[in-house]
Amino acid sequence: MDGWNFVRLVHALRQVSLSISSQDIFDVQTCLSRFPELSEKQIIKSVFIHRPQDTEIFETVWRILLENPESSTPNYAEDETNNSVLEENQDSSGIGGQGIGRGSGGVSLTTRGNVLDFSHITKLVPFSRLEELTSRGLEFEDVVKTILAEMDYYTWINSFDLAFQRGELSEETWYKHQDTRASLVREIQQRVITAQVSDENSWEPLVRQHWLIKSLSTLTEKEKELVKSSIRKWARKLAVRPGTRWKNSHRGTIDISQIVRQSVQWDGLLFHLNYRKKIPRASELVVLCDVSNSMAAFVEFLIYLVTCLRARFRKIRVFFFIDSVWDVSEFVCDDDLSRAKQEIKSSGDKVTSGFSDYGTVFQELAENKLNDVSSRATLLILGDGKNNYRPAQKEYLAQIAAKVRNVFWLNPLELEEWNERDNMMKEYQNYCSKVYRCRSASDLQRIVQDVF
Amino acid sequence: MTSPLDLTRVLEEEGYLIDKEAATTLFLALALEKPCLIEGPAGVGKTQLALALARVEKRKLIRLQCYEGLDLSKALYDWNYAKQLLRLQLSKTEDWDQIKVDLFSEEFLLSRPLLESILSQEPVLLLIDELDKSDEEFESFLLELLAEFQVTIPEIGTISSKTKPVVILTSNNSRDFSDALRRRCIHIYLTYPSLEREISILSTQAPELSNRLAKDVCEFVARVRKLPLQKLPSVSETIDFARALQSLHQTELNYGELMGTLSVLLKYPKDIAKLEERLRKWESEAAQRR
Repeated sequence: MDGWNFVRLVHALRQVSLSISSQDIFDVQTCLSRFPELSEKQIIKSVFIHRPQDTEIFETVWRILLENPESSTPNYAEDETNNSVLEENQDSSGIGGQGIGRGSGGVSLTTRGNVLDFSHITKLVPFSRLEELTSRGLEFEDVVKTILAEMDYYTWINSFDLAFQRGELSEETWYKHQDTRASLVREIQQRVITAQVSDENSWEPLVRQHWLIKSLSTLTEKEKELVKSSIRKWARKLAVRPGTRWKNSHRGTIDISQIVRQSVQWDGLLFHLNYRKKIPRASELVVLCDVSNSMAAFVEFLIYLVTCLRARFRKIRVFFFIDSVWDVSEFVCDDDLSRAKQEIKSSGDKVTSGFSDYGTVFQELAENKLNDVSSRATLLILGDGKNNYRPAQKEYLAQIAAKVRNVFWLNPLELEEWNERDNMMKEYQNYCSKVYRCRSASDLQRIVQDVF
Repeated sequence: MTSPLDLTRVLEEEGYLIDKEAATTLFLALALEKPCLIEGPAGVGKTQLALALARVEKRKLIRLQCYEGLDLSKALYDWNYAKQLLRLQLSKTEDWDQIKVDLFSEEFLLSRPLLESILSQEPVLLLIDELDKSDEEFESFLLELLAEFQVTIPEIGTISSKTKPVVILTSNNSRDFSDALRRRCIHIYLTYPSLEREISILSTQAPELSNRLAKDVCEFVARVRKLPLQKLPSVSETIDFARALQSLHQTELNYGELMGTLSVLLKYPKDIAKLEERLRKWESEAAQRR
């Protein structure tokens, strides 16, 4: 690897938030010169990567920088590939019997049977098309969706879903299909990123896709796992953090004041040592989640966080609401999140309209559900504040806020959106101790440190 | 050792099968004389790798098991107070300066694993096991040792190691480490082995198994690992499971006859229930195919 490429690589990795010290660079250079027979990529990867979650982003950067021949050769034989694909199709008709569909310039997946050769994807999606889409300034997710739609991806996965439900596919093929599906999407995402990076001529697009920064609702399964494991770690840190109050105990630090006080009865002689230690804060936590469609992704993470923090609170109560409230504490306190998820999904039966109505919810809470809440409790509200033009009824929130110690509001929308016309955030804001934007994993991390 | 291939070969002779990527990384860590941080889920052979490496390199193994509350006096060094008291009582000299210097000399130092690995005359391999279990403050104690292979004792001064020890840290990932610690280490992420590798691990660890059974077991375990379970079966559990089937005189794996042996593979009742349900489905699928 020549020096220029190496410097570019280091720069790019630093841009996407890998910390690379000069010692690391020195080490890599030593290794490269000492072991020329080893693969360069392997060496660089071994030395530069200090945490497992960075592997993926390293691969992406590596690909864009060093294995990206397309941008220089946009001309490829489109007709030729189409022909070859057609030939392959003759013996494999698409599952589910969909007809042959074709997007503009690309190749449809439904015509290709179940086996996909990934070396062909390069040809499946023309780079010029990617460039065209990105230069229009579309968001990353939108570009990916457009490309997938053009490939008939959605019809393709639908036919498989149906076949699996009907029991035509065995579980093994189904798993295999799931893998293909995931790697296909990943491939497309990589290509879109590549196009965006070369379009903007900066690493910004890649930085935006970092799992800590990107919106919680667009995370892939793998990234979800990452976020969850980080949440578990943050929660662990908190679980052992002591509170501010002291309590007598048979071990801990020596409690001088107590010893002196006792010694008075024996004329100042010390007979007995007293110890004290800090006790963890254990107050009550009330969580209130909006589970209307737009919010479901965020609820999942908040609930996960709450279950991880269980040990720290004396009592946790969780309410879900859309336009009425229901208590789901018992589901949430189960270790398994699947039941909580089901509860979110089945919420459809419980609501009348499916549009959130904060006013009614706060009224119901204030009047019925929160009668016995302790004055030391914390209320955590997760919602976008969009009230669909219904009355805000903020007086009820004020009532609740007066009862509990703190009210925190987590809002997944950007700050600018809080001032839109149907958004009641500005009215509710005054009654909250603090309002947070809670859009990405890094937001969540800040909240964990601040609130709990 | 001159190449990762060499390393793979000698480790294999010691009964540890390592994959190519991990071998390269480990090889580089040894070449750069840097500590090596091994992460991964429980039971994929992190500690085993360190043990095998110690045997390969013919180094004395010094092991420090971390736990919550582990502190400097248990990990690094402590003063031998009893011995110091004896020394004071025996001393007839009035010269205070001399006693003072004597009392805090190496003679009265109790060396704990970390100091021991620094002081050792013969080459050692220091294994700091499950570092994530220790407190965060403990991490900072380690930094000096990891970067410079030396420790500083306020009363004596800096002691640096004569024979650079190989340092291996393992972690189950239950807590994140600081960047300072990560920066000083070469990082290996071990995960569950691929099907072929697991089969060969199984046949080296339990040579009494028939090829058929080993293959069946590994395929089954690979399948189980795809299920959403609370704790996935690890390599050591695969080996136990295969041995259990062997002792039940099974020559191949039958979905129908597994009930009851599953508790060897999975450790949570909920997971077992989930798998039993799946087994019934797989069994009927297998029957259809036949």
